[in-house]
Amino acid sequence: MITRKTLPRRTFLRGLGTAAIGLPFLDAMTPALSASTMPDPPVRMAFFYLPNGMIMDAWNPGYEGRFSELPRTLKALEPFKDDMLQLGNLTHNTGRALLDGAGDHGRCCGSYLTGIQVKKSLVDIRASVSFDQIVASEVGGKTRFPSLELGMDDARQAGDCDSGYSCAYTNNLAWKSQAQPLPPILNPRVLFERLFGSGQPMTPEERRRQSLYRRSILDFVTDDTHKLEGSLGPTDRRKLDEYLTAIRAVELQIQRTENDNRQIDPHMDKPYGVPADFAEHFRLLSSMIAIAFQADLTRIVTFLVTHEGTSRSYRELGIPDGHHPLTHHRYQAELMEKVRRINEYHVQQFAGFIEKMKTAREGDRSLLDNSMIVYGAGLSDGNAHLHDDLPTLILGRGGNYFKTGRRLLVRRETPMCNLFLTMMDRMGVPIERFGDSTGHVEGLNLG
Amino acid sequence: MPQFGGRQSAGAFFDTDFSGIDNLLAVSLLYGLQGKGDCRVAVITMSRPNLQVAGFADAVQRFYHGPAGNFSELPPIGMRTEGAPGETSAAFTAPLARKRPDGSPVYRNQVRSVIDTADPATLLRNYLEAQHDGGAFLVAGGPASNLAAALAFPGLTALIAAKVKYLVIAGGAFPQGPAQPQVQADLPASRKLFAEWPTPIVAAGAEVGAALPFPGASIDTQFAAAVPDHPVADAYRAYRPMPYDAPTGAMAAALYAARPGAGYFKLSEPGKIEIDDGGRTTFTAMEKGNHQYLIVDPAQTEKIAAAYVELASAKPMVRRFRPPVQNAALPQPRK
Repeated sequence: MITRKTLPRRTFLRGLGTAAIGLPFLDAMTPALSASTMPDPPVRMAFFYLPNGMIMDAWNPGYEGRFSELPRTLKALEPFKDDMLQLGNLTHNTGRALLDGAGDHGRCCGSYLTGIQVKKSLVDIRASVSFDQIVASEVGGKTRFPSLELGMDDARQAGDCDSGYSCAYTNNLAWKSQAQPLPPILNPRVLFERLFGSGQPMTPEERRRQSLYRRSILDFVTDDTHKLEGSLGPTDRRKLDEYLTAIRAVELQIQRTENDNRQIDPHMDKPYGVPADFAEHFRLLSSMIAIAFQADLTRIVTFLVTHEGTSRSYRELGIPDGHHPLTHHRYQAELMEKVRRINEYHVQQFAGFIEKMKTAREGDRSLLDNSMIVYGAGLSDGNAHLHDDLPTLILGRGGNYFKTGRRLLVRRETPMCNLFLTMMDRMGVPIERFGDSTGHVEGLNLG
Repeated sequence: MPQFGGRQSAGAFFDTDFSGIDNLLAVSLLYGLQGKGDCRVAVITMSRPNLQVAGFADAVQRFYHGPAGNFSELPPIGMRTEGAPGETSAAFTAPLARKRPDGSPVYRNQVRSVIDTADPATLLRNYLEAQHDGGAFLVAGGPASNLAAALAFPGLTALIAAKVKYLVIAGGAFPQGPAQPQVQADLPASRKLFAEWPTPIVAAGAEVGAALPFPGASIDTQFAAAVPDHPVADAYRAYRPMPYDAPTGAMAAALYAARPGAGYFKLSEPGKIEIDDGGRTTFTAMEKGNHQYLIVDPAQTEKIAAAYVELASAKPMVRRFRPPVQNAALPQPRK
């Protein structure tokens, strides 16, 4: 029945022990004449975490149900509104003070994926295994990387980052155990080499020596690439070319960033591969998330875009003030407007990533269709430090599951962990309870 | 009330069906006690699915809470979604219908659908977690449906045992008397509550409320003097033709709960309260019993009436409060 040899899904383009490039899903990977028996593509899951809450009047539309006019902050997602589900009223009670006094920023980030109230301490770190890591422990073995943890800000793991809460709580989303966070990768170069290299990050000296002899990591896999291209049909060849071109574009941009940084300030405290420009940094990291998902290098990503309490300024928007101080706006219109613009700016960057996910094809669906990309925050009103009605978007249908294109409101105080239960189901890891969950979120699916 | 630090007053949880005006007066009383530093009103939960009544409860809560500010979260109203919505008295609809000259409502509320309310057990769980051990009391002014459901909620019975010092129920008749509507409304729940509730229970029977009528004349005097537009005063006027003095079972329960050592009431000896098939409460004295009931002391009725009016008509004090870290001891129930 099968008339041609099927390309294994986990094929890598390899070269000289320095490169191992995973492939996107190709038609050649499906057995001929057996489309009906093809397994469903895997579901991917990512969290993009934004700090300091949102200006909620520009985040929430004034209606429930099918999207019509999007609220101001979400305008950049207009082309993808049919792929988007906005959830309202989800609550993280464990982010609240309860009996631990000040420190909402430290708490809300620590509790966001762990679903528990973290211990207020600078040294005795106590969180819990985050739900993404529960999923990673179950399905992570199917991919080269069980999960990827990314970020763009300070990755200090010690010190006081909020009223007695260790920086371990504000600077990590994913937790492997109750005392072991998984620090995010900040440097695009490190991520690139992790995704496409042999597995060990190169030292700067090794990288310098290599750069004398080659232009691209793709040069190392030329032989494998040519061999593979010869066995592919025209559609797959075009898909492969687009994919490798995307990798090359990321690589070139990393090189440009490194060169620019040397020229800007040889003493800058960021590693050379970390772009000074927010948008560029975001674009590089998120492009590699899309590539990693496309090549099925991982199915789980957490991205701590910037951290709670960050004082990052946005001079590119003409906003020299720190983000966190601005969110203590005391409802002053001028300050609130600046925060709205920062919120919009973040979503604009995110929309660029969603476009990549939407463009990448996987069988007869887009990569986005097979994903659950959550864009969310651990606070709603950053001035009042509220832990209810948490800003939560899901982009993608999680494998033809979520009914998108609408805003869904759940009852107030519904635990955020209820959503996590549903997402764990979609990842093939069903469990009965997580954190303070009380059940699944109802009304999410197409059924 | 301090914003940070200092001794924390007891967390007050109020569950009711708002079937009588007494329950609204009890809410005002609890907020008056909050103003005196005797408690902090945590959440209000409702045991019938009536959005108009929940909306009015939300409006009352907003009236007392004041505008939003830093660290001043306003909890939703907890509302049961099972059962019948029951009667919607003019006490709830008339105040909400009032408009200012510009057309805006006199009393704001944000309950439009069930999503604007919370599941009672989840709300109870979430806000009990913010109380110190033994640092909360619960007042029940309606059927036991929500509290019985809470006992079946994963982990909540243990949390109640840890956080709630005692439950004061406005219901039943003691030492004996006819069956009361709030017990009959959900007989299985009432039985479960008295049988399984993990803390001491004090009951304020119907005879207590009947013996302590609310001075209705205060609505047009003390209430009006405190705040020109008062939702509970408006509700009282709309509930029945004025003047009338309402019975106060829920108010008595709330007053005792917040000030158990003030000498307002006498207490029965310890024992066990059970409910027969007709919904009548029976009390059996026993040395290690976990139940007691309130007894009206005729010498205290004037003092209680004065406390009712003073506390329920008190001007709202805007709350800006975060729980302190140190522990707080709650007064013990008198024996």
